[in-house]
Amino acid sequence: MKKILVGAITLALGAGTQGFAQSLEDLNIQIHGYATQGFLYTTNNNILTTHSSDGSPAWTEAVLNIGAQPIPKLRVAVQGRYFLLGNFGNSITLDWAAADYKADDRFGVRFGKVKTPLGLFNDIQDIDPSYIWSLLPQSIYPISSRNSILAHYGGVAYGTLGEGGKLGKLEYRGWGGERQIAADDGYTLAQTEAGILAPNGIGGATYGAAVHWRTPLKGLMIGASDGKEPTWSSKITTGNGALTGTEFVGPFNEPNYFAHYEKNKVMVAAEYGKLPVSVTLQFTGLPPSYERIDFRNWYAMASYKLTAKITAGAYDTQQFNRQAALGPARYSKDWTVSGRYDFSQYLYAKAEQHFIDGTAIGYDTDLNPNGLKPNTKLTILKVGVSF
Amino acid sequence: MKKLILSSLLAFAGSTLAASAGAQAIVIANSSVKASGVSKDDLKDVFTGNATTLKDGSKVVPVLLKDGPANEEFLKEYVGKGDTAYRAGWRSLVFSGQASMPKSLEDDAAAVAFIAHNPGTIGYIDKASPHEGVKVLDVH
Repeated sequence: MKKILVGAITLALGAGTQGFAQSLEDLNIQIHGYATQGFLYTTNNNILTTHSSDGSPAWTEAVLNIGAQPIPKLRVAVQGRYFLLGNFGNSITLDWAAADYKADDRFGVRFGKVKTPLGLFNDIQDIDPSYIWSLLPQSIYPISSRNSILAHYGGVAYGTLGEGGKLGKLEYRGWGGERQIAADDGYTLAQTEAGILAPNGIGGATYGAAVHWRTPLKGLMIGASDGKEPTWSSKITTGNGALTGTEFVGPFNEPNYFAHYEKNKVMVAAEYGKLPVSVTLQFTGLPPSYERIDFRNWYAMASYKLTAKITAGAYDTQQFNRQAALGPARYSKDWTVSGRYDFSQYLYAKAEQHFIDGTAIGYDTDLNPNGLKPNTKLTILKVGVSF
Repeated sequence: MKKLILSSLLAFAGSTLAASAGAQAIVIANSSVKASGVSKDDLKDVFTGNATTLKDGSKVVPVLLKDGPANEEFLKEYVGKGDTAYRAGWRSLVFSGQASMPKSLEDDAAAVAFIAHNPGTIGYIDKASPHEGVKVLDVH
């Protein structure tokens, strides 16, 4: 699947560059990028696989984006990323690589490795320069799994219906293809630390749809999305390869409902999502072990542009695993206040304070060998540059 | 005392008017664009990447100014954002694979020259700048 898609993109680019015999100027080649450096400090617990209780600078990202538009209706682009967050990443990966054909505002299609337009922020959750937050609400946008859930191999059809006025406009997206959860993803972290390895990660088919209704009230968008994942399976091993077996995940749906209001200096948004997943581990010769998780996630956020350079905001987010035993591991509640200063359109700095109650999100056992405290305060400082 | 307050108010009003008059943006387009006018909603949609056609069916490509008073005035009046927030919005589209960044030109003269020679382009300049070879769109 990946080879076919890469080949198709290469052909599309070739058609654009050779068939039309255009100059570089006519191809409208653009190069953009951004880089960020973060610093994390926690009062209790080490978070996101960093030594944050000592203060950790182990959060670095750099992105390079190259695009071309050989003809008005066709764009081809590729984006790569260096990502380091504690023990996550420290590698260069392909964010996405896609050809996009937009017939008109009502219909377009992009294919390749494409961003998945799930929920309110999934397709832009990695684009740090575009929002005030250092960390998006982790209940719905966990950074430890970001690189896996950000994009899929396949396609997205999109468009806008309606002309505004009394009915507003309806934006739609439909997607399908294959998603791969990487072997070093946050999803597999607990298993990995328990000695169960999925050397090839886990993945399978994925499809879904999203609608965004741009209401007649200017600045207000109300939307919903639903992703469907049939049963995924993957090879697993444990005991240094002594036992092998198969992990089955799903099938599951991940519905999200959201609203976003932005006008002048004010932005307000909220989102609610469900993630019920069943996981079965089947080692050869042993009875299967079965676990069901059932997350309910939500957040509400607001920001205000105080001056041309300063933006302040806050959000509250919560996650509950309705299948978990009572106690701090069942939930995560996070009150966050955030500020951003734009030195120019290219350079910015962020400061963010989290007040976290519960341990359901963001912690591993290797870096917290003495157990977890139920509460922690997380301070994040970040600088970023983009062009 | 009343005269002092009145003269202060008049001076303030005068300076405010002068400041806004000094950066009045007009919307210009290549002569191939059929429309003679454009709505504020259409302008916002086109310049934020949410649409590529006007209500009358004219297909348009937005062109930006890099900076300056006309740029600030246009973005504030028709997009409702400052320059930094506006370009951050476009970066979201670029880095998520949904659009290419519009061309940004150095000054009004460069914008007029580019729009005059590129069918479908639409942009903005200071009202006082020469704009031969392009059409001026009424904004309603």
